[in-house]
Amino acid sequence: MMKKLLISALVLFLVGNNSIAQNQTVTGTVISAEDDLPLPGVNVRIKGTTTGTVTDLDGRYTIQGDANQVLVFSYIGFDTQELAIGNRSTVDVVLQLDSKTLGEIVVVGYGTQSRRDLTGSVGSVSGEDINRMPVASLDGALQGRAAGVFVQSPSGTPGAGISMQIRGNTSLSASSQPLYVIDGIPIISEDLSGLFSGGQATNSLADINPADIESIEILKDASAAAIYGSRGANGVVLITTKRGKSGDAKIDINGFYGFQRITNEIEMHSSQEFLNLMNDAARQDNRALGTNYPENYVSDIWGFDPNDPDLQNTRWFQEIFRDAPIQSYDIAVSGGTDKTQYYTSLAYFNQDGVQIGTGFERISARLNLDTQAKKWLKVGTSMTLNRTIQDRTINDNSLYGVVINSLAGDPLMPVREDDGSYADPFDYFGWWMLDNPVLIAENYYRFTRTVRALANTYAEATLAKGLTLRSTMGIDYTYLEDEAYTPIISRESVNGNFNGFGNYGNTQDFTWIAENYLSYTNSFGDGLHSINGVLGTSYQASQRDFSSISAQGFPSDQFTKLSVAARVTAASTSGTNWGIASYFFRGNYNYADKLLATFTVRADGSSRFGENFRFGVFPSGSLAYRISEESFMKDQNVVSDLKLRASYGVVGNQDGIGNFASRGLYGVSAYRLAPTLVPTQLTNSNLTWESTRQLNVGLDFGVLNDRITLTADAFVKTTDDLLLNRLIPGISGFKFVTENIGSVENRGLELAIRGAILTGPFEWSSAFNISWIRNKVLALEVDEQILNDSHILAVGHPIGTFFLIDHEGVDPETGDMRWVDLNEDGAINSADRRIVGNAQPDFFGGWDNNFRYKGFDLNVFFQFTVGNQIFNHSRASYENLGWSRIGTGFPLPDGNNHRLADNRWMNPGDVTDIPRASLTNRNWREYSSRWLEDGSFLRLRMLTLGYNFNPAVIDRIGLRSLRLFAQAQNLLTFTRYTGFDPEVSQNARDPRVAGSDFGTFPQTRSISLGFNIGL
Amino acid sequence: MKKLYIIILALFTVASCDILEPEPLTSLDATAALVDGSSANAILLGAYSQMQNINYYGMEYVLNIDLIADNARYQGFFDSQLEIDQRAVPFTNLWVTQAWPNIYRVINMANLLITEVPEIEDPLFNNRNRVLGEAHAIRALAYFDLLRIYGEFFIAGSAFGIPLILEPIENNDFSLIPEIGRSSVAETYNQILDDLNTGIELLEGFNDRGRLNFWAALSLRARINLYRENYSAAIEDADRVITEGPFSLLSSVFDIYQATEPTSESIFDVEYNDQDQSSFNTYIIRRDEYNVDPSLLDAFEDGDERAELFTFSRNSFRSDKYPDPTNSNNAKVFRLAELYLIRSEAAVMVSENPNAGTDDLNVIRERAGLSPINSFSSMGDYIDALLQERRVELNYEGHRFFDLVRFDRIGSVLDMPSFRKVWPIPRDELQVSDGILVQNPGYETL
Repeated sequence: MMKKLLISALVLFLVGNNSIAQNQTVTGTVISAEDDLPLPGVNVRIKGTTTGTVTDLDGRYTIQGDANQVLVFSYIGFDTQELAIGNRSTVDVVLQLDSKTLGEIVVVGYGTQSRRDLTGSVGSVSGEDINRMPVASLDGALQGRAAGVFVQSPSGTPGAGISMQIRGNTSLSASSQPLYVIDGIPIISEDLSGLFSGGQATNSLADINPADIESIEILKDASAAAIYGSRGANGVVLITTKRGKSGDAKIDINGFYGFQRITNEIEMHSSQEFLNLMNDAARQDNRALGTNYPENYVSDIWGFDPNDPDLQNTRWFQEIFRDAPIQSYDIAVSGGTDKTQYYTSLAYFNQDGVQIGTGFERISARLNLDTQAKKWLKVGTSMTLNRTIQDRTINDNSLYGVVINSLAGDPLMPVREDDGSYADPFDYFGWWMLDNPVLIAENYYRFTRTVRALANTYAEATLAKGLTLRSTMGIDYTYLEDEAYTPIISRESVNGNFNGFGNYGNTQDFTWIAENYLSYTNSFGDGLHSINGVLGTSYQASQRDFSSISAQGFPSDQFTKLSVAARVTAASTSGTNWGIASYFFRGNYNYADKLLATFTVRADGSSRFGENFRFGVFPSGSLAYRISEESFMKDQNVVSDLKLRASYGVVGNQDGIGNFASRGLYGVSAYRLAPTLVPTQLTNSNLTWESTRQLNVGLDFGVLNDRITLTADAFVKTTDDLLLNRLIPGISGFKFVTENIGSVENRGLELAIRGAILTGPFEWSSAFNISWIRNKVLALEVDEQILNDSHILAVGHPIGTFFLIDHEGVDPETGDMRWVDLNEDGAINSADRRIVGNAQPDFFGGWDNNFRYKGFDLNVFFQFTVGNQIFNHSRASYENLGWSRIGTGFPLPDGNNHRLADNRWMNPGDVTDIPRASLTNRNWREYSSRWLEDGSFLRLRMLTLGYNFNPAVIDRIGLRSLRLFAQAQNLLTFTRYTGFDPEVSQNARDPRVAGSDFGTFPQTRSISLGFNIGL
Repeated sequence: MKKLYIIILALFTVASCDILEPEPLTSLDATAALVDGSSANAILLGAYSQMQNINYYGMEYVLNIDLIADNARYQGFFDSQLEIDQRAVPFTNLWVTQAWPNIYRVINMANLLITEVPEIEDPLFNNRNRVLGEAHAIRALAYFDLLRIYGEFFIAGSAFGIPLILEPIENNDFSLIPEIGRSSVAETYNQILDDLNTGIELLEGFNDRGRLNFWAALSLRARINLYRENYSAAIEDADRVITEGPFSLLSSVFDIYQATEPTSESIFDVEYNDQDQSSFNTYIIRRDEYNVDPSLLDAFEDGDERAELFTFSRNSFRSDKYPDPTNSNNAKVFRLAELYLIRSEAAVMVSENPNAGTDDLNVIRERAGLSPINSFSSMGDYIDALLQERRVELNYEGHRFFDLVRFDRIGSVLDMPSFRKVWPIPRDELQVSDGILVQNPGYETL
């Protein structure tokens, strides 16, 4: 402290000598916008004079001036700012990084680059945007943030897998997911859990604490992604975590607590309405089919009076859904000396699911350390250890799913009988419900516990001027435990006579990576030509082991550990492995900031490829021309940046290939408890990566000193050698072989506009992005492949095309569906299906707005998706309109109907799109376009209001900063979709069958309060 | 120091190259699968394991035959089963599509054994002939099962048999799958009987009821000869199984189905246990999907014990023939009762004497607690009684539709057009065959 004072005094003294007397003393602090730290050495000048000073080590200055004079603050690397003194005695300033000379630094894979020098297409999302979203995993926070990146939460299951497509579906095999790279390590991002839970996977990205993220870069075009070669075709997501900066220790404490509920509840009929509809169904059949049901046929046979106001009236959705808390707390300490910097954090996140019996919990710790060990050697490490616990129930298209069993829940059935036991659906009047969903939610256990360690250590040696060698060793280790228990009282156990059954499994994945690369930077001809290059190798290998045990016969539902079970019914251990060896090069050339060129190539060898194609080479090149650097552009000051970019290249995708997919294999099976050998797949020695050729043309445009910037990109992305299950003649004993067949194309246009719309006391900055992507299958070995009951893959149509029995509305005279009998055989069945739509949106994007006034900040973030269709399969159950299994004369419908059934056809002449009620299934076809709906939506994804306390005030209580905020996620959703929520996909990660909603756990809305404290 | 660092890195780089050659941990390379006697036996057992598939004897090949006929009714929501229940099976039907390759996989495993086993040099391979015999018999069963669904097995001169693949696929390489069109029905039967004759010769003395043993092969030949109306041959084999085989009818019909192991009545069961489950109980009881058609219940005479093999639950009846909730219920491919019925039918048909098979029919009736029938006044009476007996005895065991086809009754009983006696060739197979595979008559435009 003494030292500081001394220096400050000295500085002041030196500067002060030159000054002439002024009549007003102005003091203040200059802070860097980059890290909120005080800036020492900033030039502070009175405009138009030679009077000036510099800030001291605490960023403080004192200067004499007139009220009508203007202060000019300048510092290298920052934008110069001018402020009138007025009658103020304190003028504090936040200096912004100079966007023009330094620009935004982006991570590009094996290095960083200034955004101004980029020739490829890279989207960036700041850590701040990620941190403030109340979501479990970082991929969920990317929704609507970057152009061309389509992120979807297929379900609201806490901690569930999220699907992300960068520039469309490039692949037909299960993986259109990008490669995720954290601090240089390509990580495992798939679902490692072996627990069955319906269509929703776990998400290994949820192992990462979003609060640790500094920035996310998304490599979109071939030029940017080619450095990741055979894994780059779906784009690459580079995640950079926070690192320490030299200076005093900073302590940041953040937290929020809130409540969530489902975004929308489907309104169902009451018991009285349910009975009336059933009676109407019988009445309508009398009219249309000449049956002879008496008045009030169904309600009489069931023994109820539809006019009785005291009937049991269970609202099933209210029974399984709840208001659930969500909370998050983290603390981070960072700082360092000139030589050594550190960042360390500890975080806790806990989300209870809105559906009973679900939740997600994470505790994570991180240490990032960098030190200049020798003059020529810098070493450092990034380490994180995380524990997550995910509590799930079964959902989606599964017999014992919670949501699915409540879909058509009979309102006449109570949750519990008078004696407190769970009511049994087999005692009531809904065929659909197989077990009491509240029983399932409360009594099934389905836990997945994960310990994840990600650690890497690097050493960076300066070998010569401009030449460095960097070596990294990294480990991605996951230990995952699955534990499930199906209780004795469940129907599943009762029917199977299991007396409760349990499963335990574990998965251990150990992936290591070793990378070495040389980087070289130099410039020639007085800095007119500058070059830099990267040349390196990468080896990555993975070993994965699994085991599982099942047991049954439990003494009571109090016990769930397998040791108490009477009998172990199955036990197995297994494992698999893969490896990749790679060599890569990237060179950049820059001519006077005017012409920029990049060439990248990577050669990948993969253990998954067939022996005839072990190594693949993936080259790309790009050029940029900055028109704004031309002399004729120098005379104007409106356009601050104008750059044209073009890139072309080839990248690969090997994710869809199983570890041993190219080999003819025999697996082990059993007959009468003896081991047997059975063929499991045929040989395909030519199996190789999918290759994606991408042409990208882009434009970067900035006006008013880049106050408003626009980035536009157009691309054509063609993927050939698509990995797909190719149909082969069944006489071989197989239906499919994995083969490189077919091609698919994505064409798109992306636009991102960013600007400071209002500056001054009331600030408004806004960022808008929108993307149009057209996906089309160009060629297939066998055209028109029917994938399942609702989807097809066909040339000329996009991936995710619906193939359903179609209809031409409801006949106003009869109230019956007019099904399209495509083959005119008189029967309506699966041979009458035709293409009726697809799950691909026409366009999607986001609009982010930040407002600031005095201490207040307001964030308003909209997200939209338009033009996609959803097959609302759930309606097949809750829009049954009375269809009953009559059996021995006892009508048993699926169950209740939703409120929209009120619009059904009642009398001749009614024009409606919902047919008449009927006890027959004449008007009901499970896989028909009757359930196809528009899935477009506009959503107020985030609304955050914060208040920042005046630093001068809170300084007195020892705080650097204090912000309190309230935030709402998914507060408003505008859609015509009639299901729970339009953001849905039953098969989370298979794009070919996207867009089905069948008992899916819906999205949630949350409102929370929180704080950010800086010490 | 710097130099040392670089040298270490360079060494490391060179050392890492073997990561591209990992070996699978739970599978064998196909070329290394069949190498000696014990692997030949493992692959043979693998063929049984493949027969256990849900599309085949695991459930569907059995129950769908009752479902399309008048024994079962579908109460689930799968389109595949609904289409079968509605008796209008399109060529896109899921079961029709999946059963084809799954049954052919059994055939391909048999092909591998039949071709390679004679060449294996292994002094310890002491059951070589039995392995070959079983492989031949298994191939015969699988081809016959394919022919009953996809071919016009009921028309001797029909061209619509089954593609016959008799060699293993070279190198297991999908690009070397041969292009094979359909053989005629006669050619298909010839191949099946060739295999069966070879198998019977080699299986003499093999009695394992969970395997395709000597008696099972004889029973299969009896059934085939019955189907192709070669009655005297059918009598000969059925008679030998009944009189010489180590089998006896259980005194109580309930015992047949309570057991999860083969019984004294079992000639060949595809066996299951709780770790290797069939799906009958799941679909009949747990999922409540293959319900009993009320007309089946009406078919029972008063006092028939077999009428007790049903339980009522919720709003319909369910068959009790697969009662084990752990799905250990076996598929009863051949049991002695069928052989009596084969001998009865063949004896009547060959002699055109309606009373030539009455005794055998009465054996089955009396076991079920019914009084014997004295005599039939006409062939028509006998056939009605035979179909009735086969229905009440063999329901939910995969016979009813074939019986109605054999007696040309799918029109009168099931109200189905005649062309639907045969099921369609799957759409996927037509798509990949380049026109070599021809659709069955009547389905071309559907």
